Amino acid sequence: MTTFLQIVAIVAVIAGTFFSLVGVVGYVRLPDVYTRLHATGKVGVFGGVLLLAAAVSGTSLSIGKGLVLIALLLIIGPVTSHAIASAAYRVGIPMVGQRNDLQRDGALAGQRLAGEQGQVQDG
Amino acid sequence: MEAILTAVLYGSLLLHIGMIAVTMWRVWRGENVIDRLIGADLLSTFTLAILVLIALISQQSIYIDVALGLVALGFVGTIALSKYLADEQMF
Repeated sequence: MTTFLQIVAIVAVIAGTFFSLVGVVGYVRLPDVYTRLHATGKVGVFGGVLLLAAAVSGTSLSIGKGLVLIALLLIIGPVTSHAIASAAYRVGIPMVGQRNDLQRDGALAGQRLAGEQGQVQDG
Repeated sequence: MEAILTAVLYGSLLLHIGMIAVTMWRVWRGENVIDRLIGADLLSTFTLAILVLIALISQQSIYIDVALGLVALGFVGTIALSKYLADEQMF
């Protein structure tokens, strides 16, 4: 039984590290703030959760705490990404790319910085 | 099987330390303040990952408690900072 759990731990650690790597490469390479947020969201959710799955199956003492931590991470990841994205849009950081749904709907106009520079690309 | 697990854990730990170095370099070079905020959030996530790896390597579950404390309290800082950046006041 323990060898099976250790195999699960090995696979989970490798997958978690792979997703963290993808997240960091995305954080360095992607053009603008919003796409970078998309990448770093993966690190927190996939990397952390898979590593914790390995920890839960590896050290057999912390099953309860590990599951609580996994649930917490699954909630916290999207919340922080959304908070940072809306802060970035309010500060008025322009979006690189074609579509700007927020501006077309006029839901949340990026006033300050965009107002001064006045170059938020249109959709 | 035990040796493979510890080898994989140490390799993953090394990779995570390299990733933290890359993130710190990117935060140092960050274009605007939001990038640095994302980098800070990423760094706290990586400390969580390293804590979990140490918990696995040393087979002690005390590090999972530390990680729980870090995650539960760390994200409040990010949200307070992003609200401060958005509205110039936090409350």
